[in-house]
Amino acid sequence: MSEAPGAPPRGPRVILEEGGAPPRAAAPPPRGAEGPPAPRLDFGWERTVAPAAVARLRPGTAWSTLGLLGAGAGVLVLGLSALEAANFVAAQFARATWLGVLTLGVAGAGYGLIGAALWREVRGLAGLRSVDRARAAFARGDHATAREEALRWAAEVPAAQSVLPALRGCNDPDSLRAILEAGPLAALEAQAQALGRAAALQAFAVTAVSPSAALDALIFAWRGVRLVRQVAALHGLRPGVAGTAALLRRTLFDAATVAATDVAVDAAARALLTNPLLEKFAGEAAAGAVAARRMLRLARAASEACRIVPPR
Amino acid sequence: MPAPDPLGFLRDALAGAEDAALALLGQERVRLAVTGLSRAGKTVFLTSLVANLLAAGAGLRTLPALEAASGGRLRRARVLPAGVEAVPRFDPQAHLAALAADPPRWPARTEDLSTLALTLELDRRSWFGGFLGARSVTLELLDYPGEWLLDLPMLRQSYAEWSAATLARLRRGSRAAAFAPFLEFVDALPEGAPAEDPLSRRGFALYRDGLRAARDGHGLRLLQPGRFLNPGPRGEAPLMWFFPLPRPGGGGLAELCARRYDAYLADQRAAFFEPFFRRFDRQAVLVDVLAALHQGQEAFDDTAEALAEIAAALRYGGSWLDRLTGQGVRRVALVATKADHVPARQREALAALLEDLTAAPRERALAAGAETGVHALAAIRCTEDDVATLEGRPVGAVRGVLLESGRSAKVYPGEVPMRRPGPEFWRHGRMFEMPAFRPPRLDPHGAAGVPHLGLDTLLAWLIGDLL
Ligand SMILES: Nc1nc2c(ncn2[C@@H]2O[C@H](COP(=O)(O)OP(=O)(O)O)[C@@H](O)[C@H]2O)c(=O)[nH]1
Ligand SMILES: [Mg+2]
Repeated sequence: MSEAPGAPPRGPRVILEEGGAPPRAAAPPPRGAEGPPAPRLDFGWERTVAPAAVARLRPGTAWSTLGLLGAGAGVLVLGLSALEAANFVAAQFARATWLGVLTLGVAGAGYGLIGAALWREVRGLAGLRSVDRARAAFARGDHATAREEALRWAAEVPAAQSVLPALRGCNDPDSLRAILEAGPLAALEAQAQALGRAAALQAFAVTAVSPSAALDALIFAWRGVRLVRQVAALHGLRPGVAGTAALLRRTLFDAATVAATDVAVDAAARALLTNPLLEKFAGEAAAGAVAARRMLRLARAASEACRIVPPR
Repeated sequence: MPAPDPLGFLRDALAGAEDAALALLGQERVRLAVTGLSRAGKTVFLTSLVANLLAAGAGLRTLPALEAASGGRLRRARVLPAGVEAVPRFDPQAHLAALAADPPRWPARTEDLSTLALTLELDRRSWFGGFLGARSVTLELLDYPGEWLLDLPMLRQSYAEWSAATLARLRRGSRAAAFAPFLEFVDALPEGAPAEDPLSRRGFALYRDGLRAARDGHGLRLLQPGRFLNPGPRGEAPLMWFFPLPRPGGGGLAELCARRYDAYLADQRAAFFEPFFRRFDRQAVLVDVLAALHQGQEAFDDTAEALAEIAAALRYGGSWLDRLTGQGVRRVALVATKADHVPARQREALAALLEDLTAAPRERALAAGAETGVHALAAIRCTEDDVATLEGRPVGAVRGVLLESGRSAKVYPGEVPMRRPGPEFWRHGRMFEMPAFRPPRLDPHGAAGVPHLGLDTLLAWLIGDLL
């Protein structure tokens, strides 16, 4: 080859290394003169990818256009009307003190009620948020956050009072999860199913006797929303209007994707519909049976959406 | 281009509307087309992609660049439960278990289509949206025999056109040697050869053997039709008993071959291209650049030509009709796979060479308004950088455990040129085949993902904007 003296060798090649691992006396020599196989490379990957609890990026959140629009409209309506009301109160005071006091009282009561409603909404949403935080913490195995959220949750949910000491003593996410799942969550699940059965019976009965399909749908929707709110209340959530909407959306999403729950729902529906009283109806009211099954499924999905531990 | 097909337009419009509706609900659906010739590393890439995304969804930092691109919003990743699909499911678990086994096995040659969809659950970007619950992005993946991809360009050719182009190619370069028996056979066929099966089967067998010889002996890639090399689960069928003819216009055998050519393409179109390659949003073009380089000038050029032909036949969207139906590819990544075959210092050269090799596909994507990016990655990192001494001088090499013998070896991959090298480059180097390495120690369940090089950077570029 006539390579320039500085140029690296061109052709690729394989250079075998002598003796992979140090030969062990006990091991019989493998075929031929080859040494034992070399150990596989180890990059210590599991350690490199272990989640760093502190270094995790905070998800950046921003205001969406719709959010900005809504917030702006809200500020305008409330703010301008408050200014208007203040002017009006001042004018009334100018007319007569007693008129002014009366007007102030009316305005105060009105805005107080609006404020209370807003506060309830915010609390409802904050409750959902904290469920989200807990679930995310469990999913990524972040023990500190998971424990903090679990303790706060347990303090507010009657069914979980009894496990509070056990939760305090926990020092890894798996046992935290195990305690929650075996104790309060199982109890809540059972209660949610009981609520679901009650709603299912009602849905069945209504569908069996009601004259129109449209009415059925309406009653079903109303009963479904109520059921979701009842289940949320079990889990310590008190969702307002926005919270209920958010919860419904999650529940419906879950109900659509979690196909596995169908087995349990099937069993529950069968148990319910083989009730001797209902059997008389069941033949003619297939729609009722469907409605009842849907209620049961809804109860399960709602309970799933409210759990502070993510589904496995 | 085939005539615009009104039903196809309708289907596109429906699919576009469905996607838009799902996106509004916060449930985006993204089709990721992974294209690559056979042995480019598609199956391994998909396996690593799934394992590492699932691990990242569980909170492990397997894909730091993607995590940064998504602002840490990824909350969970899971495999979408199976529905009632007729297509087999891609099984990353089985591939991982085989890779982790002792002795390890790489995935066997892909013989059939398989699909899998991953759902990534993400925090909402806006504070208000946060109350609506997680957003989800579903990533649809497909694994398939790479050979079949080369049937795509045939869809735009008639039998006569394909025959002429193919025969002209067969008479050039090392193909002439590989196809010598076949060429002898077709050249000896009389003008009006009868449409008899012994004849067509003989021609088919000779042609198929030529394809195999060209692939295995000469490293050539532009080999059509794909199912001749990889017949898939249904095996060889009479519709494959055709081959290029010097006088494709006549009756008898020529007519029979033309009929079978059309039937073959109709079958491939219905089973493979229409359902899976008509629509996609992102594309990763995987290329084993180093193998192409090491197999000589003709193989290198052939690889470039094959990639160009495939890109020219893929539907990238970009026309007003596609915009109307919401179709079109947004991003195309050109990926040099098996980057662990060269030391870190040379990986940039690998990417630069790939850029040179894929000039045609890149232009095609750019013309359709897609962004393109060039990456080098190892889906499963199997080597460490090391230094070897050759001819008394130290050179950058990689060290790994050889698959066959289980022995540790250093491999000097040669100098990777930054652009397509001139003929003198190949005059020096003999043909070289990179040995397969044993994968590193892996968790058989892949719960912590798998070691990779640069997979996160690629994903951040390819799908980071969706997260
Ligand atoms: N060292 C290394 N080898 C790889 C990598 N990816 C693929 N390979 C090798 O390339 C071969 C072909 O890969 P495969 O995914 O089956 O190719 P496909 O035909 O495109 O599906 C495998 O058997 C491996 O030996 C990688 O990331 N690193
Ligand atoms: Mg494959």
